[in-house]
Amino acid sequence: MAQASGSPDDSGRLATLPWTPGDASETAAEALQALDTYKKKDPFKVIVRFKAVGNAPIMRQNFYKITASNRFQAVIQFLRKELSWKSGDPLFTYINLAFSPAPDDTVSNLYKSFATEGHLIVNYSTTAAWG
Amino acid sequence: MSAYGTTRHHGQQSASTTPASTTLFRRLTWEGTVPLEIRVDSKELPANSDRGLECYYIQAPRVSYLPLLMPEIRRFLMDVVFDEAAGKMLKEEEWWFESEEGTLLKWHWPIGLIYDNHTISASIRPSSQTSTSHHNLQVTPLKLILHLASPPTEKLLLSPSTESCKQAFMGQLKEADFIRWGNTKRMTGLRKPDQDGIWEGIKEHNFDDYWRVASKIVPTTAPARSSSPPPASSNPSMHTRPPSADPQSAPDRDGAYTVRSVPVRLYLPDGPVMQDVVSPTLEDGSAHTLAHYLSTHLPLLFPPAPYSGPELAYALIHGVLVPPDAEMAWLGACMAGADGWVSVCVGIAR
Repeated sequence: MAQASGSPDDSGRLATLPWTPGDASETAAEALQALDTYKKKDPFKVIVRFKAVGNAPIMRQNFYKITASNRFQAVIQFLRKELSWKSGDPLFTYINLAFSPAPDDTVSNLYKSFATEGHLIVNYSTTAAWG
Repeated sequence: MSAYGTTRHHGQQSASTTPASTTLFRRLTWEGTVPLEIRVDSKELPANSDRGLECYYIQAPRVSYLPLLMPEIRRFLMDVVFDEAAGKMLKEEEWWFESEEGTLLKWHWPIGLIYDNHTISASIRPSSQTSTSHHNLQVTPLKLILHLASPPTEKLLLSPSTESCKQAFMGQLKEADFIRWGNTKRMTGLRKPDQDGIWEGIKEHNFDDYWRVASKIVPTTAPARSSSPPPASSNPSMHTRPPSADPQSAPDRDGAYTVRSVPVRLYLPDGPVMQDVVSPTLEDGSAHTLAHYLSTHLPLLFPPAPYSGPELAYALIHGVLVPPDAEMAWLGACMAGADGWVSVCVGIAR
């Protein structure tokens, strides 16, 4: 459920402003409530398929379900853990053998834009592959 | 004084391939600047600093990045604020920025996007001092606090180096390329000097250097079909596409209206960021407008027509309130950021 929007004193403050039209606080409250519905995190899960490139070690299991609201950074960290990579060991990640997404982009956004046959394909490499 | 934000380069874009109006809007986008007030966290000022002068003001290009401002900021602090010996002890790679409200500023976000994000986030804070009425979008400096140590590396995600900023920038360009065409052939087809040149264009804030390369990857507004003339803007004096100026090379394989999808991201106050496939035309063949995009993605904030209630929200692109009938394909060609993305920032109307 969406949480109550704005801060408790929000509407009161707006209503006391002499130049605010009568329904402005209501409008703002409606807008903030609407905003809350869009802030709800995507609950669905996405299948991520990891594919090694070049000399990178192959994973025994390479399909994973991950909550869509996770950032791509979480995927990178998960991958590093699965590969037992030490911090500092180089690891480059790509979508569709094409580009490195920003670490703060969400899995949900990447899935919606780049999914292949229902999977988000993440390639990983120990060297920079597609600069 | 800052050399940023000045219009130093006025060469002409190759007018033979790009309509003059497209070049005009690209230049307006490129020349956009935002005011920043940078203040060193007073608790972190080294001993013997000149506390009266710890504030630095800069008019920064919207398409630039914070790591690119660091040399100028550092120079100011070293020359004016820090005691010489204390200044030498500081490690620039440990510096990081935070907004007054405590939001970490990401190294890899364009400065204009950081600014607009701050504007829309302020729109949902009733206690905010600044007026956030979009009818009166005040251009006030974005106040940044510069910390000199202990960067929260986990949250900043990337190091403050120019090199990692470049890598992130190139990654965004490639992602935009993939969004448009389903592959990155245009980007990977660039030679090394071009790949370096496009970043040099950002670093030096040189419109011509940037567009010399960018015009090979960003589509033009030449129409794909004459049946859908994109309206220019609500201002009748600015026709974006005088028919005589457009090369009639239909079907134009590289045209803005023939891409698979326009690279667009939608930013809401304090997040989230939304991105999906945004086709340039709708199923009935008409152009996909900003109004349609907003009312399909955020119907509660931008109710579809007919709607006569009060305005609930507004949308900014490069700090500009864009007319609702602006077409997504046109925005992708003329008002994308230098990273190739159209960043639509949504604030709450008050």
